[in-house]
Parts: sequence; C-alpha cells; structure tokens
Amino acid sequence: MKGPLGAPLLVVVGSGGVGKTTLAAALGLHSAATGTDTLVMTFDPSRRLKDALGVGERAADRAVAVETDLPARLDASLLDPRATFDRLIERYAPGSAEADRIYRNRFYHQLAGTLAGILEYMAVERLFEVADEGHYGRVILDTPPTRQALDFLHAPQRMVAFLDSGALKVALRPWFDDRGRLRAGKLKVFGKGFEALLDRLIGLALLRDIAEFFQAFGPLYEGFRSRALDVQALLRSERTRFVLVSGPGEERVADTLFFARKLTEDGCRLGPVVVNQVHPEVARGERERGERTGALEEGLRLFAALGERDRNGLASLRGLLPGIPVAAMPLLPEPPTTLPALRALGTRLAAAVAP
Amino acid sequence: MDASHRDRLALESRALVVVTGKGGVGKTAVAAAIAHLLAGRGRRVLLLEADPRESLHRLLGVPPSGGDLVDAGPRIALLNISPRAILDDVVRDKLKIGALSRRVLASPIYEHFVEGAPGLKEMMLLGHALLVTEGEADHEADVVVLDAPASGHGLSLLAAPLLVAEVIGAGPLGTMAARIARHVADPARCGVVLTALAEEMPVIETLETIDALGERVGRPPELVAVNAVVPPLPRQAARVGGEAVHLWQVRRAAADAALDQLRRRWKGPTVLLPLLAQAFGPEMVTALAAALEPQLAREEP
Repeated sequence: MKGPLGAPLLVVVGSGGVGKTTLAAALGLHSAATGTDTLVMTFDPSRRLKDALGVGERAADRAVAVETDLPARLDASLLDPRATFDRLIERYAPGSAEADRIYRNRFYHQLAGTLAGILEYMAVERLFEVADEGHYGRVILDTPPTRQALDFLHAPQRMVAFLDSGALKVALRPWFDDRGRLRAGKLKVFGKGFEALLDRLIGLALLRDIAEFFQAFGPLYEGFRSRALDVQALLRSERTRFVLVSGPGEERVADTLFFARKLTEDGCRLGPVVVNQVHPEVARGERERGERTGALEEGLRLFAALGERDRNGLASLRGLLPGIPVAAMPLLPEPPTTLPALRALGTRLAAAVAP
Repeated sequence: MDASHRDRLALESRALVVVTGKGGVGKTAVAAAIAHLLAGRGRRVLLLEADPRESLHRLLGVPPSGGDLVDAGPRIALLNISPRAILDDVVRDKLKIGALSRRVLASPIYEHFVEGAPGLKEMMLLGHALLVTEGEADHEADVVVLDAPASGHGLSLLAAPLLVAEVIGAGPLGTMAARIARHVADPARCGVVLTALAEEMPVIETLETIDALGERVGRPPELVAVNAVVPPLPRQAARVGGEAVHLWQVRRAAADAALDQLRRRWKGPTVLLPLLAQAFGPEMVTALAAALEPQLAREEP
C-alpha cells in the first residue's frame, strides 16, 4: 500500500459501532494482497468476522494464519489484555516467585480487568511487542470499543504517572505485619485518622490486597516505566499512522473533529479519515418512477433523506479537515464478512485514499 | 378499573430507569425519549449522564450541564455528573473534619484506590440516583433516567454494587453498596432498558447481556428497545427496483432475521423504534417517544 496507508503501523480509531474492526480486517487483506506480510490485531470481532478470518477462540492472544491465496502472509489475533499484562509481569519480575505473588493477588485479578486505561494500555503494549519482534511488514491495530476512543493514546503517560506517583512508594512500605495486621506505626505519614478512615470506609481486606500488590510490583517498576515511555514514543513516531473512522451523518462531524484535533495535538500522524456506512444517493428518477403507495413513498423518502444527511456530513467534514484525505465508504446492504468481500472493501478504501 | 389506571405504564412506577447498550446503538437517544415520555405523563424526571463528553443536552436542545442541573422542559431536568465528585462528597461527609478530609482526598493512595477499586465509581452513580429518588439529594425527581456509560454494555455499572459489597464488606461503603444492590435488583423499583440494533452482532450481544444480567445482578431487563429498525418493505417495491430499494430490501431481511433470533431467546417486552432521518436533536426525541408510547401500552400485561 502506498500513501498514508503505507505506514508499518496502522492504528484504527473511532467511536463504538462505526465499523472499525471490519475496516481493520479489510485493510489487512489489502495489505497482504499488495505483498506485505501483515498482522491484524482486533478486539471484539463479530462471530462471522471471526469465522471469515479463522480466528476462533484458539487465536486468543496468539496470531493465527488467515487462509488466503495472497502473495504475502496475513495473520490475525484477538487481543487479550490479561494475557498481555501477565506477560509484562513475567518479563520484568526478577524471578518466578515474584511473578507468582502478583498473579495470585486478588487486587491484581480485579485490576487487570477494571483499572481505567489498563485495557487500552495493554493494546498499545501488545502493538509494541509485535512491532519489536519484527515479523511483519505491517501491523494493523483495531482499538478497544470504548466511548473515550482515545484513552489508549494517553495510557502510556498514565502508566508512567501512576508509577512515578507517591502512591507506589508509600504503598511499598510494609503496612502489614506477618500475620496480616495493619502496622499502625507505618501510617504516621497520614496520621491515625487516615488509618481509621481506611478501615471504616474500605475495610482492611481490600487494603491488604492493594498493599500486597504494590509490594510485589516494586521490583518491576523500572522495567515497566521505561517500557511505557517506549510505547508512548512509538505511537508518535513516523512509523505509526492513525486511521480515524467516523459514522456518517452531520451529527458525527463534531465527534470526528474532536478526535482529529486530539490526535494532531498529541503529535500523532492522522489520516486518512474514513466516513463509513454512507447511505447511497437516491436518484430523482428512482424516487419518481412507478406507481406507489404511501409506505413505499415514505420509505424512499427516508433513504433519500439519509443519503442527503450523510453527504452533507461528508462535505462539511472535508471542509473542516483541509489537507487530510477524507474517504467515504458506502453502506453495504450486507456487512462484509467473507474474505473476498473484505478484500474488495480494502481495495476500495485504498483507492479512495490514494492521492 | 378506570381508564387512567389501565393506561398507566409499568415504567412510570419505577424510581430509577437505567438505559444501557453498546456504543453506536442510540442508547442516549432512547434514554432521552423515555425521559420525554415519562415527563409527558406527569412524572418529574431527572436525566442523569456520566459521560464527561456531554451529548444529552443536544438531544434536549439545552446548554450542556457542566455538572449543574439544567432545566430541559416541563418536568425534565438534566444533570451531568462525575462519579468521582460524588465519591469525594461521600468521603467529606463521612469524615466531617475538614482538615482530615482534605488530606485524605489529596493523598495518592486515595487517588489510586478510587481509580483502581473495582466498581466503586460506577456504584456512586447509582447511589446518587437512589438519593435523588429518596429525596435525600439537593434536587428532587419522581424518576431518574440514567444514561449508562457505554462500556461493557452497562453491565459493569449494574453489577458494581454487588461487586463492591463483596470486596469491601462491612463499613459505610459496604453497607451503602448492599443497599444499592438490593435496589437495582428489584424490578419493581428499578427498570433496566437494553438498547439494541436489529443486526446480528448487536442481537447476540444483547442476548449475552440478558444472561449476564441474570447471573451478575439477579434480574431480567424490563425492556429491550431495538433502535433504528428499517421499515417493512411494501410489496410493490420490488417492481420499482433501484439501488435504494435493494439496500432497503437486504437491510430489512437482515433486520427480520436478527429480530427472529432475538425473539427466539427473549420472550419479554420488546419495542421496535424506527430508523429516522432526523438530526440528533429534540425532533428525534419526540419521534422516538411517539413510537415508544403505544408499544409500551401494548406490552402491559
């Protein structure tokens, strides 16, 4: 692929429900079709897309080859944030005993799934792992389906801020004695009141889990921190390009502009912007031909209005994003879930973006 | 039984209506339509939004809330709240002593506890809704309609109180969590509306969410609202032909298949909301509410 889609790392971003995963898969097929060994990493593909790519449950976290007759290799994998987190800990723990201590921690179990930004951080972390291994000419990352679609962009900074904050150092003090009782003396930094509050508000069991987690995490600190900084640099390097996917219609313009501005402000390379699922224009002749009842008339008027709404949105977006290619992809009657359909979609997208 | 009583919708008697659904399915518009409908039937409604990127105000045609109560028409108020701010208030309230609470709130441990403790922020959102309906907050409403955060189909929100009650156990937070969990699990007091689309993947996800609601919250949804349904194709359309008719035909067939799949597994109340060309604004809300009302009346036992 040439032009903006030629970058070795493509990150597909946008709000939920706009077709990011399908477009990521389509770009993957087109990339392999044009001779580049490619990996597509997705989060939450539909069952049919999973079937089309051949990524069943067995592909969780591990890349599997997509069976194609393309000139280059195409692999696909499902992102498993928990497995990525586990691997990170394994990598930076001084020994297996330290790693086991974290794996067994109750707080870690909940943290791995719930801490804001962990999912997003693990997505970019996995991207970094794969880029680092260098097995592929191109990696395409589908991003998590969060409302705050750019959270992952700041996930490395947040990880660094978290590691640098006093929380870790304070938490590393041995709060609990061997029998699991709180060592009141160690909490002098906050005073007695704080301890009493923690006990009353939270209860000591959770606090113990948290403290143990931070203690176990201590030796991993430096490794994690420099890794997060590397990941952050990769996202802003020339190798990475952001494909921003938007829903059609005028009401999405503000959202898309917001994402575009954020990405640019953060020093990321933006473009193309893909306006997906645009309704077709209903020709005047088509609207006026033949005999019709109220329902037919009304239905055609609805589709005509949707087509007009989408085209207005597209036009205003193009006007507001000068210098950035804005490609329109049509709403297909059936979602593309076979390899040939996905490949056709990828080819179409590449053609729409080409200068 | 007099007509007005027979006419009363089940949703009208809930103190809290939580509208959930994945991103892109029109959850926020459905929440606004339900609020509009309930207010039109005489209930005082508070629409609660937790997403820091506000969008409900655009549907209601009012300025953004920015954390303050906004009057959004007869008997509708809009409030955008940060779960974190509510939690800070609770800590202040429990601590009473200003200097101590300031120190706690500023401490990095508190910071990371709040961000990291599973379910705590979500629970605070539900807790605030509960306080409002019980007249314990500084604004009042008969019913709170909560536009749930999009993540995890809103399930993480609804399951949060149980999770917190489990993890924290005793103490004021644990007690509060248990109380909120009981409220959310009670179909007479809390209604859960799942928003879906008539497409294969959203229907599969909705069915999964229904199962998970039973397992993790101990209750079924009150209503499944299928949004943006393509209208049925009139018979003579085939003779007219053309790209738009083809698109209509295939999309309607896909919608029929998805709705069949939904109805095979979900026998509870379901409403279909039409695909609309209106812009994201008050007109869309009025149209959705108008489509919703007769169907809700029909669904009554």
